[in-house]
Amino acid sequence: MPPLPSKTPNALLHGALDALILKTLIRGPSHGYAIARFLEDATGESVLIEDGSLYPALYRLERKGWVEAEWGTSELGRRAKLYRITKPGREQLARETALWRQFSVGVSKVLFA
Amino acid sequence: MAPIFRRRFEGALRVIRRSLRSWLWRVPVELEVEEEIALHLELRTRELVARGVDPKSAHEQALLRMGDLRTVKRELLELSRKRDRAMKITTWIEELRHDVAFAFRQLKGAPAFTLIAVTTLALGIGANSAIFALVDATLLRPLPFGEPDRIVAIHETSAQTNRSAASPNNMSDWNKRSRSFEQIAGYTQGVGGMVMAGADGNAETVTRQWVSAGIFDVLGVKAIAGRTFLQSDDEQRARVVVMSETFWRTRFNSDPGVIGREIRLDGASWTVVGVVPGNFQLVGQSSIWGMRPILGAPERARGAYVFAAVGRLKPGVAMEAAQADLANVASGLAREYPQTNAGRGVTLQSIHDSIIGGDLRMTSMMFLGVVGFVLLICCANVANLLLARATARTRELAVRAALGAGRRRIIRQLLTESVVLSILGGALGVVLGAGIISVAPSLIPDGLIPPTVTLAFDLRVVSFCAAAALLVGVLFGIAPAWQATSFRSAEVMGSDTRTTTGGGGRLRGLLVMGEVATAVLLLFGAGLLLRSLIAVDAFDRGYRAESVLTMLVDPLGSKYPTPELLQQFFDEVEGEVRATPGVADVGWTSTLPLAFFEDGPVSYEIVGEAPLEDSHRPASEFQVVSPTYFSTIDLLVVAGRAFDSRDTRTAAPVAIVNEGFAKALGRRSPIGLRVALRPASAPQSEPVIREIVGVARQIRGRPDEVSDLVQLYAPLAQALTDDVYMVVRPKSGEATALVPGVRAAISRIDKEQLVSIRDVVTLADIDWAATGRHRFRAVMVASFAALALVLAMVGVFGILAYSVQQRIRDLGVRRALGATTNDVVRLVVSSAARVIAGGAVIGLLLSAIFSRLIVTVLFGVQPLDFTTFAGVTAVLAVAAVASMAGPAWRAAKVDPAAALRVK
Repeated sequence: MPPLPSKTPNALLHGALDALILKTLIRGPSHGYAIARFLEDATGESVLIEDGSLYPALYRLERKGWVEAEWGTSELGRRAKLYRITKPGREQLARETALWRQFSVGVSKVLFA
Repeated sequence: MAPIFRRRFEGALRVIRRSLRSWLWRVPVELEVEEEIALHLELRTRELVARGVDPKSAHEQALLRMGDLRTVKRELLELSRKRDRAMKITTWIEELRHDVAFAFRQLKGAPAFTLIAVTTLALGIGANSAIFALVDATLLRPLPFGEPDRIVAIHETSAQTNRSAASPNNMSDWNKRSRSFEQIAGYTQGVGGMVMAGADGNAETVTRQWVSAGIFDVLGVKAIAGRTFLQSDDEQRARVVVMSETFWRTRFNSDPGVIGREIRLDGASWTVVGVVPGNFQLVGQSSIWGMRPILGAPERARGAYVFAAVGRLKPGVAMEAAQADLANVASGLAREYPQTNAGRGVTLQSIHDSIIGGDLRMTSMMFLGVVGFVLLICCANVANLLLARATARTRELAVRAALGAGRRRIIRQLLTESVVLSILGGALGVVLGAGIISVAPSLIPDGLIPPTVTLAFDLRVVSFCAAAALLVGVLFGIAPAWQATSFRSAEVMGSDTRTTTGGGGRLRGLLVMGEVATAVLLLFGAGLLLRSLIAVDAFDRGYRAESVLTMLVDPLGSKYPTPELLQQFFDEVEGEVRATPGVADVGWTSTLPLAFFEDGPVSYEIVGEAPLEDSHRPASEFQVVSPTYFSTIDLLVVAGRAFDSRDTRTAAPVAIVNEGFAKALGRRSPIGLRVALRPASAPQSEPVIREIVGVARQIRGRPDEVSDLVQLYAPLAQALTDDVYMVVRPKSGEATALVPGVRAAISRIDKEQLVSIRDVVTLADIDWAATGRHRFRAVMVASFAALALVLAMVGVFGILAYSVQQRIRDLGVRRALGATTNDVVRLVVSSAARVIAGGAVIGLLLSAIFSRLIVTVLFGVQPLDFTTFAGVTAVLAVAAVASMAGPAWRAAKVDPAAALRVK
């Protein structure tokens, strides 16, 4: 049995948000609103992410070097900050995905037994 | 595009984008956050409106999803500030690493330049680190006492001196009456010897210093075994000693059982009470400290000024307050004991100033100044090398500038190079400095550095080196870096490198001029000190003997109980030594010519003149000598006669005075005058009346002595004392060769006496000790000045050689047009000569100003000495010719045809 994720549920949820953002950026660089919209559509609005917590998460990811930001142009022709996943970001996404799989498998084993 | 190339290309693009973002697209973080959130809200609102929500509630919904706008913005601001800070540091470190690597590549590519620059810097930093160690030990580091700030030296003052020692009675009264001190104690200024008899019957001489009971408490020194002295030791007048850790370890094998044990010193029994740490020393190296009681001293001892007094201030008491307090006590004592204390006051001094002394302070500061100047010259030289290199690198730098490197960035790169250079030099300098420190103790004259301070090469010195290296690196790098980046890229790249040398050349000329000026200043100082040394060496000490053996012979107390027996012993030893082969003359004296007077002065009155008050009687040094003393050390008796066999113990007491004494008498001829002598410490005692029979030449204890010492000699037979020096002059050769013969001769008279012979030195040694500090200063400063001169001339050579190289084509053209060799040489040399002459004038002007600062260490020479001025100019002229000869020769040899082909 692989080592248990030593994460509290809270940290796990945090990690899940990070993973969702990184996963979104795999498709290509996008600005904050586009990320929010994609997640709403992809989860069918079943996972509600407050816009006010999306941006801090993005900034933290940037500081950790998992995404990088640059100025680009938005649909409105205005200056927009575009986020792009980095190589360390992809590696982090892989780690988080694995963790989440373990967690959900474990939880499902109990709940659906 | 193949995938691998695309990846590389994208990687490269990303790097560029990132740097673009950080350097070009920089927006304030406030704006960044504001814009991002605003865009988000707007996009959200638009989408809701598109879905049919009315604009007002769409905007409200968008806001609602964002949460508390102010909190979010604040959080984002904080996060982005942190991010920027981290990024800045990473970028900075990244760039530094790149710059350092680049610097190493550059230096590797120019090994000759690197070698010269690093060596120059190592010399400068090494010399500075060694001198810093001296300054640190003497001026900066606290003394090895507990809370040294609270310890003060206390001097008695009188009309004659403001640094008199203190009497035991005064010290104990100060202790009782002053309120500012925890305690006041004292130690004798000299370290003497005592004969310690061992259990095995062997005896040895140990060094001993007398102290009062409170000394260790005042100095804050704790015993490492046993205890130090107590007040009760003083009250009981106990015979107790404390020994040094070193002595305890070497002589007693660190045996704790020695505490409380009795040892026999000079025939008496003393109790060992404790051991104090090895680094504790006051004056000279002592193995044991014997307690001298000061409580209940007889009243006649009030005039015996034997202790160097020190006091520990109560916490929070300022030295000024303590001074006022003690002065008050002293004036009370002066009223109570007018006979001894009238006109006597006190003055306080910090213990550090008292122990380190003005001479050492001056010497340390002077050396520091000198090596500082040497380091500046080193900097100037390396800066010069860098300037020359920068000129050659102008094109490279211009290209980098054109590719987008900012001026600050290029300057930073160049500074990194110079700091790397200086750190390499500093590392080598540390090694050099450690080497100097390890050999220094053997070069420093005895007595210049008190035993309380230790010269150490430690972390403090290494940190000094590191700081010096960094400072130096920036100092010599900044001008060349500035110079190198003052160009317009397009011009430089489009032109020949030579056109850009003008400004650099001027700067280099100025630097070399500064070097020459500094070297001249140091040469001048060295010249003055050398003149002082010559004056000291040629100084007439009054006696002529060069090599005379001196040994202290100390007949053991109980062996010769009567004066007759003691006299007989001296006579027999003298006879036996005189018969020893190689001995030319032998005599006895209580004090050596250049040594400290241990007997203390006597006061005198002329018999037949009006009697004087105690405190108004003149004083004289008192020395007891045998008749042959004068002939042995070749001291002339200039009037009257020397002592001879007539002056026996029972004959009429006689005396010989020195020229200083005779001068003090005024017009009266001293011969035939009778003087009444009393020990200065016992003004009430019955005087000894002596008739003056001769006048001896003045002996000057120290060459730099200002006032003429007043001295009176009495014949040994009439003032017998033990503890006398035997002086022995050889027929020829070194006096030390006589040691075995003389020892054998003494042992033939009395075998036991051998053990009490000590202090075997020659007069030449004593002489050296007196002139040592002059020699040390002169040699040190002269060496540094020579180093400075060589460095400055290397600088001159550098600019001249460089300018010749740059002007080869120009010179060739001139030759082709008919210029003679002379014309060419004059053309080349004239610019360098102007630099040297300018430097020399500035240097001599500076010398005239600065030489006044060292007037206290000069002897027999004025600060504005013409001979030194002339000498320095001559030395500089020779050095200048030597440095210019090579490049001038090269210029003269320019072949017009070949020169024109030069690219």
